[in-house]
Amino acid sequence: MTLTLFFILSAVMAILVFILKNRTITKNIIISYILLHIVFTAYCWINLNSTELVYFTFDSAGVLMLAVLSLLLIPTVYHGFVYTKTDKTRNFNIYHTALIALVTSMTGAYLANGMTVLWIFVEATTLSVAALVYHDRTEKALEATWKYVFICSVGIAIAYIGILLLSFIYGRGDAPILSFSSFLNLASIANPLYLKIAFVFVVVGFSTKMGLFPMHTVTTDAHSVAPPPISALISTTLMNVGFLAIFRVYTLFSSTVILPFMNNVLILSGILSLLVAAGYMLKAKHMKRMLAYSSLENMGLVAIALGIGGIGYYAAFLLIILHSLTKASLFFHMGQFFRVLHTFRLDDCGKYMKLHPAGGLIMLTGLFGILAIPPSGLFISELMIFKGLVFNNQWFLLIVTALLLCCIIYALSTRVMHIVFSDPRDIELQEPGIIKPAETISQFVLLGLVFFMCFYQPPFLVEMINRSIVALP
Amino acid sequence: MVNYLIVLFAVTLIYISVAERFRIYAGLMGLQGFLLFGITLLELQEVNTTNLVIIASETVFFKGLVVPFLLFRIIKKTGVYKVHKLAMPGFYLLILTIIALILSLVLSKALVNPYINTEYMTIALFCLFTGMLLIVTHKYILSQVIGFLVIENAVFILSLAVGNKNPMLINIGILLDIFVGVLILGMFALRLKPHTLELTRLKD
Repeated sequence: MTLTLFFILSAVMAILVFILKNRTITKNIIISYILLHIVFTAYCWINLNSTELVYFTFDSAGVLMLAVLSLLLIPTVYHGFVYTKTDKTRNFNIYHTALIALVTSMTGAYLANGMTVLWIFVEATTLSVAALVYHDRTEKALEATWKYVFICSVGIAIAYIGILLLSFIYGRGDAPILSFSSFLNLASIANPLYLKIAFVFVVVGFSTKMGLFPMHTVTTDAHSVAPPPISALISTTLMNVGFLAIFRVYTLFSSTVILPFMNNVLILSGILSLLVAAGYMLKAKHMKRMLAYSSLENMGLVAIALGIGGIGYYAAFLLIILHSLTKASLFFHMGQFFRVLHTFRLDDCGKYMKLHPAGGLIMLTGLFGILAIPPSGLFISELMIFKGLVFNNQWFLLIVTALLLCCIIYALSTRVMHIVFSDPRDIELQEPGIIKPAETISQFVLLGLVFFMCFYQPPFLVEMINRSIVALP
Repeated sequence: MVNYLIVLFAVTLIYISVAERFRIYAGLMGLQGFLLFGITLLELQEVNTTNLVIIASETVFFKGLVVPFLLFRIIKKTGVYKVHKLAMPGFYLLILTIIALILSLVLSKALVNPYINTEYMTIALFCLFTGMLLIVTHKYILSQVIGFLVIENAVFILSLAVGNKNPMLINIGILLDIFVGVLILGMFALRLKPHTLELTRLKD
C-alpha cells in the first residue's frame, strides 16, 4: 500500500512539475518529493524484509542503497536549483521531471525482488538520465546523450538475454517474474554452463550502469557533459543500481559450483577497470572525466572485493557507500568549480585555493577521501580488500592492484595539486564568479561523514551490511 | 514450417553481414520483422488471443514496417547509400559470421534444455553474435544501429521460446523497442548522416 502510494505520488509530482509553468510551485513540489522519499526510506527501514505489491521486497541491501539515495537527494536538489537558476522555465521543469523519474526508477530498481522488474526499472533510469544529460541542449550534450542511449541499449539487451537464460532454468511453467527467492532452490540443480553464461551476460549488461569494464565508456561521456548534480547521481546512486543487480545474481549463484568462475570474472573485470582507469587518468585533460575514471577505478575495486570473497564482501559494501558520499561531494563541487574557473580543462585551471579557499579545501579533502588516504573511510575498505588478498594468498593480484592504484594516486594528486596551488599552464585566469559560502556546506558534510567513518562505523550500518551479505559463503 | 522461417532468418543474418548498401540493411530488417511475425503466429499457440494480437501486431507494425520505413527515410534524406567497412572487408566479416554460426551451434548443443528448442537457441545466439560483429566491425553509426536492431531481434527470438507459458517475458522484451525509437529519432534530431564515422567531440 505504502509503495503504491509512493509510486502514485511520484508520478503525480512529476506530471505536475512538467505541466505547471511556475518555478516556485516546481521548487515546492521537489522539496515535497525529497520529504516523501525520506519518509518512504524510513518506512522501508522499519519494515525490513517485508514484501509489497508482490514484486518489491525491502531487503537490507536495497534499503541501504535507498538510504544513500535519500541522503544524496537533498544536496542534489539544492545544487540543481543553483545550476538551473538561469534556465528557461520549460527547461527547469523538464530537468526536475526527469530527476523525479530517475530517482523513482532507482528506488524501484533497489527494491525489486525479481530480475524482470529490476530490468524494467534499469531501462527506465536510462531514459530519464538521457533527458538529464541533454539538459544543456548543446552539440556535446546531444552527442553524449546519443552515445549513452546507444551503449546502454546494447548493454540492457545483453542483460535481458542473461535474464532469458535464467528463465530457461526456471522452466516454462513458472517463470513469471524470476524472483530471487524462488530461484535460490533452482540454482543448485541447474546446468552450470547456463549459470555461467547467464552470469557473464548479466555482468556485461549491467556494467553499463555500474560503470565497470567492458561497458565503462558509457558513463564517462555522460559525466563530462551532464549538469554536475546529475553527474553526482550517475556516478554514485546509479552505479549502485548496477552493483546491486550484479550482486543479487552473484548472491543467487554463490551456493553453486560456479562460485570460483564468478569470482574470476569479477576479478578480471575489476583489474581491467583499474588498468583502463589508470591509463586514462594519466593522460586526462578534463576534470570531470578525471572524476569519471576515478569512479571506474572504485567500481573496479568493488568488483575485486566481491571476487575475493570473505572480508571482501563487507569491504565492497562499505566502499560503495563511502564512494557514493565522496564522489557525490566532488561532483556537487564541480558546479562551483566551473563558475570560478570557467573551464574544466586541467591545463587552464589553477590558483583555486586563492580564488575560492573553501573550494580549494574541498578539492584537497576530496582528494584524500577518494584516494583512500587516512583518515578517509575508504581507507578502511581498501585495507580490508588488501587483507582479503593476503588472506587468500593472491599475491600477484595484490601487487598488480597496488601498482595500478599507485598510478591513479599519482595522476589524480598531481592534477588536483596543480589546480589548487599552481598557475594555469596555457592562459590567464578569467574573473572568478561569486560563490556563496553556503554552497560548500553539503560537500563538507558529506566528506565529514566519510572521514568520520574511518574512526567509527555506526552499529546500524554494520548490521545492515552484515545482513546484506549473510547469504554469501 | 517454423523451422523454415528460422532457417530463412539465419540466411538474412548472413546476408546482412556481407551487404554493402544501406537500402539492403533496411530491407532485410523489414524482412526479419515479417519472419518474426510468422514465427510468432506459429509458435505462440497456447497464448491467449489478446496477448497474441498485441505481440503479433507490434512485431509486424514496428519491426516489419515502422523501422524499415524510418531507415529508408534516413537513407533518402541523407543520400548516402553505400556501407563503407572501415574496420574489415566483407569477405573477412563473412568468415567471422560463419564462425559465429558454428559457435552458436556448438554452444546451443551444450545448452540443451527441456524448456527451449535447440533451433531457437542457435538462431538467437547467432543473431546476437552477428549484431555484435556489426557493431564492432563497422564504424558508421547507422551500421551500429542496425547491429543493435539485430541484437534486439535475438532477444525477441529467445523470448518467443518461453512465450507460450510466459508471454510477459516477450512483452517486457518489446520494451527494448523504445530504445530503437529513441535512437532513430536521435539520428533525426542530431541530423547525423548514416556515414558519420564517429562522434568525436567528447575526448579526454
